[in-house]
Formats: sequence, C-alpha cells, structure tokens
Amino acid sequence: MKLHAHGLRAWLLQRMSALYMTGYTLFVLFIFSCSTVLDYQSWHDRMAEPFFSLATSIFFAGLLVHAWVGIRDVIMDYAHSAMLRFILLSATGVSLFSIGIWMLRVVMMVGIT
Amino acid sequence: MKFLIYRYNPETDSEPRMQEYELADTEPGMMLLNALERLKAQDESLSFRRSCGEGVCGSDGMNINGRNGLACITPLTILKQPIELRPMPGLPVIRDLIVDMEQFFHQYRSVKPYLIRHDPDPEIEIKQSPEERDKLDGLYECILCGCCTTSCPSFWWNPDLFRGPAALLQSARFLMDSRDQGTAVRLDELEGPYRLFRCHTIMNCVDVCPKNLNPTKAIGNIKKLMVKHHI
Repeated sequence: MKLHAHGLRAWLLQRMSALYMTGYTLFVLFIFSCSTVLDYQSWHDRMAEPFFSLATSIFFAGLLVHAWVGIRDVIMDYAHSAMLRFILLSATGVSLFSIGIWMLRVVMMVGIT
Repeated sequence: MKFLIYRYNPETDSEPRMQEYELADTEPGMMLLNALERLKAQDESLSFRRSCGEGVCGSDGMNINGRNGLACITPLTILKQPIELRPMPGLPVIRDLIVDMEQFFHQYRSVKPYLIRHDPDPEIEIKQSPEERDKLDGLYECILCGCCTTSCPSFWWNPDLFRGPAALLQSARFLMDSRDQGTAVRLDELEGPYRLFRCHTIMNCVDVCPKNLNPTKAIGNIKKLMVKHHI
C-alpha cells in the first residue's frame, strides 16, 4: 500500500473515521436505548468495560482525525499566506492534541475508578 | 424588458459598473443571446463572446441572474427582471462579459486530454465493446464552456492549484477509456492535496452544467480509481 499522497491519505482517513463514528454512534444509541436505567452510574459502568472503553477511544481518535482533515481543508482554502497558514495549522494541531489528551484521561479515569 | 449588465473596460475604466438597458422588441421563444445581439445593435461597445448560438460551442457562458449558464440556450421568459448579467466569476475580465480563459485552459491541458498509448499504434482502429463505449457517456459531451469551473468556490480560492470540475471531468473521460494506457500517469499527476482533493462536493458544477453533466460524480469515480490503484 503506498499512501504517500497527502490528498488521498487525508481523504481516506476522513471517510473511514466518518464511517466508524456513524457505526459507533448508532451502536451507543442502541445500547443506551436498551438500558432501563439512564444515569451516571450506568454510563460509568458501561464505559468501564474494556471493549467499550477501547471502542470509545477509537471514536475520539477518529473524531480528532476527522476534525483535523476538515479544519486543515478550510485553512488551505482560505489562508494563503504561509505564516498565517502555519499559525492556524499549529493552533488547530495544539488544540486538537489537547482535546485528545483530555478525552484519553476521561476514558482512562473511568476505567480505574 | 430591463437588463442590468456589467460593464468594464480595463483600458479606460477605473472600476466596473452596472449599466441599465431596455429592450422593447422581444419575441416569443427568444433566447438571451438574441436579446444581447439586439442590445449590441443599440450600443456597439457592449462586448460578449458568441459563436454557434445553439449550445454547442460553449462561447457565451456568463453569469445570468447570479447563476452561470449559456446565453444562447437560456429563454428570456424564464428570467426575472431586471436581468442581471455579469462575467463568469473567478477569472480576470478582459472586457464586459468576456473573461480570460487562460487559467481554465491551463488546467484543462494539465490533465492531458488525449489518449496516452504505450503500445505501438495498431494498423486498424482500436476497437471498443459497446459496454466500454458506454463508460464514456456523461463525460465526452463537455463543451468546455467553463460554467462549472467558474461556479466552483474551490476554483475561486485556488485557481492555480485546483484543476476544477471541467478539467477533472476530462481526466475521468480518459481514465474511463478502455483504449487509454495512461492511468498511472494520470492518477500520479492528480495526487496531492490540491489538484483533485480540493473538491469538497459542493456540487455547484452539477447545478449549472448546461449539458446536464455530473462532474462531481466523475471526480468521485477518479477518487475511487485512485484508491483501487494505490492499494
């Protein structure tokens, strides 16, 4: 597989993450619609399951990748100055990375508490 | 019938202006191009391109009431007054409704709009099955009027980098051709974040194409072919 092309790789990642997120969202909606009790404890118990925790982590990774490609596209379209583009891409990257760390912390904390 | 037409001569005008025109003698079944020709008889300085007058040559593409189209196949009766005519957006204006199509044709030339063959030319024609020929339908009919490309926001923002819907439709036309042997060359040329992947499926191209073609679908097929080719 040679995916050195940034256009194709980004496009594929965006579509694959969209598919996964759609599947995950439907799965979560189904799981929670089948639950009789909908409170923090039931959410916490469900999220503490390794399978659910892993699926949720992948969901958030997909969400961040999807958001990165989308925002990168908007910046590439509208920000033509190299400096402005660098600043905007860096700010986006740092923001998404921070959100990723925070999401990972939430998922891990649920697993150990 | 009232008209509001974009006027600009870069040699004499400091900035563009909209000029009002009125046409009294209109007839049933009249097309916009016929009206423009009558207006030109009133004011010979009014400039626009035209040639075949029947939607085949693609010369008279313009922005009609905010939407790109061909004047020669646009009936006057469907247009709301005052009919506002502007040059196709996203390209430099040469004069009035005439735009410089060089950027458009540069992108067109870049996709190598001709058969690429590595084998020696055969002594007889290269035959196609009816099924292979059917794959070209919806692709070969493009008349290169530029209505699609100049209505595409991705082309407005990156006219020098994004090939645009018309050029990509032509690329698809040769990629789908069973006689063409340049698939790898064509797909490699379209790699990168700009040339093909600036298309965000906005579909203005599909909306305005006077030949009812679907460049968005053609671009999607190129992407699928690229995935197949790379994996």
